[in-house]
Amino acid sequence: MRHYEVVFLVHPDQSDQVPGMIERYEALIQRGGGAVHRKEDWGRRQLAYLIDKVHKAHYVLMNIEVNQETLRELENAFRFNDAVIRNLIIGRKGPPEGSSRIYEEELREQEKDREREQRRGQEQAARASEGDASDEQVEVAEDRE
Amino acid sequence: MSRRFGRKKFARLDSPGSEVDYKNLDLLRQYVGETGKIVPSRITGTSARQQRQLTTEIKRARYLALIPYTDSHR
Repeated sequence: MRHYEVVFLVHPDQSDQVPGMIERYEALIQRGGGAVHRKEDWGRRQLAYLIDKVHKAHYVLMNIEVNQETLRELENAFRFNDAVIRNLIIGRKGPPEGSSRIYEEELREQEKDREREQRRGQEQAARASEGDASDEQVEVAEDRE
Repeated sequence: MSRRFGRKKFARLDSPGSEVDYKNLDLLRQYVGETGKIVPSRITGTSARQQRQLTTEIKRARYLALIPYTDSHR
């Protein structure tokens, strides 16, 4: 068994199928006696150039350890899945260390998004309470928190 | 013998946390020009070994559309 790093791009319209696809490929790898050492969902990213007239794609990275037959099966699965618009499989010397740079960036982005949403939610709640209470009361309530 | 041109050669690739990898986009972008071309080692001063690594990783990143092939796409 050898180590491989696999990246595949999914058509943005099929983005919601990605978790299912990852599961299916994982099952395929495990059935062949392989192992998944790392999997990262980079989410939808802007493409540097058009692929199949599409501007964005959903990126998935997987570091796996499989034998040749299973790898061939996986390649075939990519080829016959129309949702996969591009894939890259490269050999690696061993299992990966930590998470990749792009994934860390993606996680940071998600964190920022979540914070922004939270803030928006709080502002909306504050505005809603302002509606039926006087400003002073709102301030008191905030101080207590 | 003194160097004919007084330009310092940089070895940015040796610093920790800068492994040459197709996922390390910030690093790769330093080694492609504005038009998307790979900058020759004679200009960047990278060693032959590192330049070869850079080339393969830049090409991988291009294939995955993480980096453009050229500035005049589509």
